[in-house]
Amino acid sequence: MPVWQRIYEEINDPGFVILCAAQDTGGEAAAGPIFDAANATFIQVVDPDHIISSAFNFVNVPSAAWVDEQGKIVRIDEGTYSKLHELGEGDTKISFGTDVYSVALKDWVAKGSDSAYVQSAKTVTGNIRQHSSDQLKADAAFRLGNLFRTHGYADKAEHYWDLARSLNPDSVNFIRQNLTLSEEGSAGETFRDLMGDYVKSGKDYYRPLDIQSPLQPKDEDR
Amino acid sequence: MAKAMMAYPELRHPFAEKPIHAEGSTTVLYQGRSITLARTGAGAGLLIQPDDLPGINGFTLKPEGACYEDLCVPIGANLLVDQQGEQWFDLTGFADLLGQPYVADSEQRVWSFAEIPAKRDGMMLDAMAPDFKVTDREAQVVSMADLKGKKALIVTWSSW
Repeated sequence: MPVWQRIYEEINDPGFVILCAAQDTGGEAAAGPIFDAANATFIQVVDPDHIISSAFNFVNVPSAAWVDEQGKIVRIDEGTYSKLHELGEGDTKISFGTDVYSVALKDWVAKGSDSAYVQSAKTVTGNIRQHSSDQLKADAAFRLGNLFRTHGYADKAEHYWDLARSLNPDSVNFIRQNLTLSEEGSAGETFRDLMGDYVKSGKDYYRPLDIQSPLQPKDEDR
Repeated sequence: MAKAMMAYPELRHPFAEKPIHAEGSTTVLYQGRSITLARTGAGAGLLIQPDDLPGINGFTLKPEGACYEDLCVPIGANLLVDQQGEQWFDLTGFADLLGQPYVADSEQRVWSFAEIPAKRDGMMLDAMAPDFKVTDREAQVVSMADLKGKKALIVTWSSW
């Protein structure tokens, strides 16, 4: 989050906005302090119903769409990391994210449709995840669970969250948001087991970033 | 034992039980909004007063059908239900016609509707960003239309 704020300040273009939507069932209590700690000045949304993920068919965070001045999507559904993150040291060191995405983003804001990172409508529509009727229904079940949670019907909330997960097993959002409200948290053994199964089944929980390093745009259809 | 990373068990079910709506009412969830209907028709599906339709999904009833912006869906007479001289609109029948999934909790009289696939054609066919409305942390409603004229990075994240 602090890195997105820094990038936003570096871009500093009145014709550019960031809308950052926290997919947190825990709501403001979970996400608010992180926004505040980053002194975020872009549009901050706490989105417990996953309205944004649902609108763009995202299944994991962080995911993003670039939308131009005319409302057209020009990139979508990539693991949207502001930078390369490294945690731990030695044998336990893990790294995730990438430094190339923000460079591409800045290029787009500066050059608009002339940016080499703008993708064609054909590429974009090809990159949007297709959701089945059951996957759409999962969104409805998830929100029903959230309504029951906020009205104190814990059993019903759990029932509809489970239904959402079974209707859209591709949604890492549904898996992890639920785990984050458990004692073990969203990065514990259950998560590792689930993600192991997910990856073994051949699914991508992020579309592979279509930006090469060193920075080379790759869109044959442009 | 140290608290696990990204664990907020205290936030799982912190709310005391409270009614979702007044007794006899019905709640409809759609696009993140919660709409309370004071009256609905009898039957297994959800029959609403025709005047409630625009407030739920933006469609209005016209001679040519149920219309939303440029989209008009011809509706059969079966979606207009007469019960004891009062006319109702069959919202679940309309959802079925549109291929719009929904989940209902009949005990608590809550119907949660997924997105209408036809409203997403602009995105799936022409890469036009879908319409959405969310509320920011300053309580301002932000829609996709509000962002037009600017380049926008719309990014999801989470505390987990």
